[in-house]
This record gives sequence, structure tokens and C-alpha cells, in this order.
Amino acid sequence: MSNEHTVKSYEEELQFLVDSVIKMGSLTESQMVDSMDAIIKVDKDSIDKIIKSDDEINKFRSKIDTQIMTLLVKRAPMAIDLRETISSLKISQDLERIGDLSKSNAKKVKPLPLDLPEELLSNLKRLGELVIKQLNDVLDSYVNKNYDKAKEVWEKDEQVDDLTYIAMESVIDFLSKDKKNLDFSTHLIFATKNLERAGDHITNIAESICYLIKGEYLKGSRPKGKVIQE
Amino acid sequence: MSDVKIKSNNLNVFYGDKQALFDVNLDLNEKEVTALIGPSGCGKSTFIRCINRMNDVIDICKVTGNIEIDGVEINDENLDVVSLRERVGMVFQKPNPFPKSIYDNISYGPKIHGKGETKSELDEIVERSLKKAALWEEVKDRLDEPGTGLSGGQQQRLCIARAISVNPEVILMDEPCSALDPIATAKIEELIDELKKTYTIVIVTHSMAQAVRVSQKTGFFHLGKLIEVGKTEKIFKNPDNKMTQDYITGRFG
Repeated sequence: MSNEHTVKSYEEELQFLVDSVIKMGSLTESQMVDSMDAIIKVDKDSIDKIIKSDDEINKFRSKIDTQIMTLLVKRAPMAIDLRETISSLKISQDLERIGDLSKSNAKKVKPLPLDLPEELLSNLKRLGELVIKQLNDVLDSYVNKNYDKAKEVWEKDEQVDDLTYIAMESVIDFLSKDKKNLDFSTHLIFATKNLERAGDHITNIAESICYLIKGEYLKGSRPKGKVIQE
Repeated sequence: MSDVKIKSNNLNVFYGDKQALFDVNLDLNEKEVTALIGPSGCGKSTFIRCINRMNDVIDICKVTGNIEIDGVEINDENLDVVSLRERVGMVFQKPNPFPKSIYDNISYGPKIHGKGETKSELDEIVERSLKKAALWEEVKDRLDEPGTGLSGGQQQRLCIARAISVNPEVILMDEPCSALDPIATAKIEELIDELKKTYTIVIVTHSMAQAVRVSQKTGFFHLGKLIEVGKTEKIFKNPDNKMTQDYITGRFG
């Protein structure tokens, strides 16, 4: 950002808002790491902790909402400050949704059998790693106000789509071998879809960051990979 | 896209040795509101005072460059300044009604410009002007009372009515709401919105929010120079110039 505000408290309020979004982002990221871990290890003991961490994320969201309302009323922000304020609002909304999806994935661990074949989970694991990397990168681009990095994340969602397709296929393959697998396979399909949706929220965040930095929306349509028909 | 009503080319203004405006090139569109913003002393008022040659009354003031209204140079020595000011009305920061009745405040201009010959013509002008300034309903039963007895907001609308009574083409407003409360300000802003259907309006304001609310185009002045001009929405959401951004976000100095 350029010079500091003449009013120091305004500067502090804006910084506090940005810091809150960063903290919320890092909570969302560790929650996603934990929920992926729980699925891959079929670790049922961590479910409650992950669900609880979602409450924490939701609290952040309402705290950020309040900060934004106060800023709007008190300062009537303009130009870069207005974009900073509005993007905080949008990014925190997307982070909250990502949190919901990680929570939903943690809940899916409960019905999973402990002896899931490794090859069934390997593609899901790869997908999870990619989405976590995307989230990490997008948050990094927010912290450093790095336009190119945000745009890169936005473009890379294509890979998330492709991996989602592959992960889905492997679950469906497994399911078709034995109808007994139907129950928990369905949960794995939903978990895969949740990761793909989290990827979409990450691209929204990337768009918000690009708008924040340049004041214009990314042009053209985002590259898209294979999509499972809903 | 509107037509250009007023055009300034390399406009320079000097008060004695001190240069107040530097090569200002600014187009103002017809039937549009242009807001001029910038810190105190940046030249925005000096600029609008050039449009009706108010600077003529200051002895040490020298103006170079051009200002055209409808393509006609207004700094021409042979130009009739009185008729220029009939075409270009002005409203000031502090409401300044004449110490006369509400009626006389409005009828004075048309009378001296020979626009109202008979009492009924003048009556009609007074009513029309006050209606346009959204003041008629509040004062129609006390037109013979002094204009100075009205509230601040009403006085300012009276001054606007006075400005429009001679059917100008342009209205210059120099911080017209700075002495008014939020309700009176809202009424003036609503009025500006209505007036722009008929007149070209230039408003100097220190309120960013007001500039956003009332104008379609905004120019930012700093130290006598026009730093950036563009669509109001663009200026306040994503200005090109860093100085503009620093000013509107309160990072100046």
C-alpha cells in the first residue's frame, strides 16, 4: 500500500481487518489439512476436533463482518481502501464455505471402514494435497498482494477439476466391483465433490485478490478441466 | 456521451507573482455534473471562477489560455461579461441572499436582464424558479418576507432559485453544502440531480461522498494542476494516479 493514512486509527483498523482475514485463512487451511488427514488415515478420533474448529472459523467470519460494518460507517472507505474492505468481506465468505466443506468431509470419516484399500484413496489424497496447496498459495498471494500468484491459482483450478474426475472414477470403479461398498463409497464421492467445491471457492478468493490489487476483474473465462455431470 | 459545453485549454491563472493554475485542460460535458475535488488552495475554486470571469474583479489576477463555452472564447475583451454571467450562474459556500424579500431576491436578476417586463411575467418567473429549486411549497405564502429569515438550507435553495431565475446554461457551485446540515444537504443534492436535466453543473466539494453521489465526472486538482479527471465511479473506485488515490483515501501530506 502507499503512504499511511493521515488518521492513524484508520490505518490500524484496516490492518486489523486484513490480519483477521489472514488468521481466518490459516485456521481454514489447518482445518482442511486435518480433515484430509482424517479421511486418508480413517482417523475417527479427530472428527470432533475438526467440527469444533469450524465454530472457530464461523466466529471469525462474524467478527470480520462487524469490523467491515464499522469501517464502512466510520470511514466511508474509497479506492484501494474500499476494495480492501469489500474483498475482505468476500474472501471471508469463501473461507467460511471452505470451512463448512472440510467439516462435512470430517463427518464422512465416521462410516468409513478402517481397512480401506490404499489405491482407492490415493487419487483422493492427491486431490486433497492439490486443493490444500491451492489454498495455501491463494492465501500467500493475499498476504503479499501478489497479482500473478493469485491469477496462477485461478488458472490452476483446471487441475483440481481433472483430479476430481480421476478420483471420482476410481471410487466408482471400486463401487461397481461390489455392491456392499455402496454405503461408504457414496461418502467418498461426496468428499471428492466437496474438495472440488472448495477449489471453486479458492478461485473466487483469487478473483477477489486480483480485483483488490488492480481494481478490475479477471477477464475471460477460467480454464476448466473435466467435470463430473451432476 | 454528452457534448462538451465548456472547454479549457492551457488555462493559467496568476494572482500577482503567484501562479494559481497551471495549464489546465478540462472538458465539462453538457447537462452533466462535474465535481472538482482537491485540498484547500489547489485551484478548484479559481478554476470555476474563470468560467464566469469572476476573477476579473481581482486587480492583480491575470488569466492566460482559453476557456470556451459552446466553442466561443469567453476571455475575449469584447465579450459582454454581464451576459456571460447571465448564462453562467453561481452559488457560493455560504448562502448569500440579498437583504430583500424572497420575491425580490428572485425577481431582481430577470428585471436587470430585462427578462420580466410585467408583474405577471415576474410572478411566473418567481414561481417557476422557486419550484425548480424545490422551495416553492415552503415559501409560497410568505414571498414578501425577507430572504435572510429563512433557514440555512432554504437560503441556499433561494440562492439556487435566484441563479436559475435568469435561465442560465451553466451553474457553478462552490461548496454549496458546506454550511448545511445533512437534511438540507440531501435536499440540495436531490435538487442538483434534477437540475442537471436542464443545466451544466460544476460543483466544488470537499466531501468525497458528495462528489460520488452527485457527479458523473470528477477532476482532482493539486497545487494548481489538474492531476486526474475521469468518470466519477472510476476515480473513487480505482483512480489511475497515486496522488488522487492518496487524497481520496486520506493519505495526503
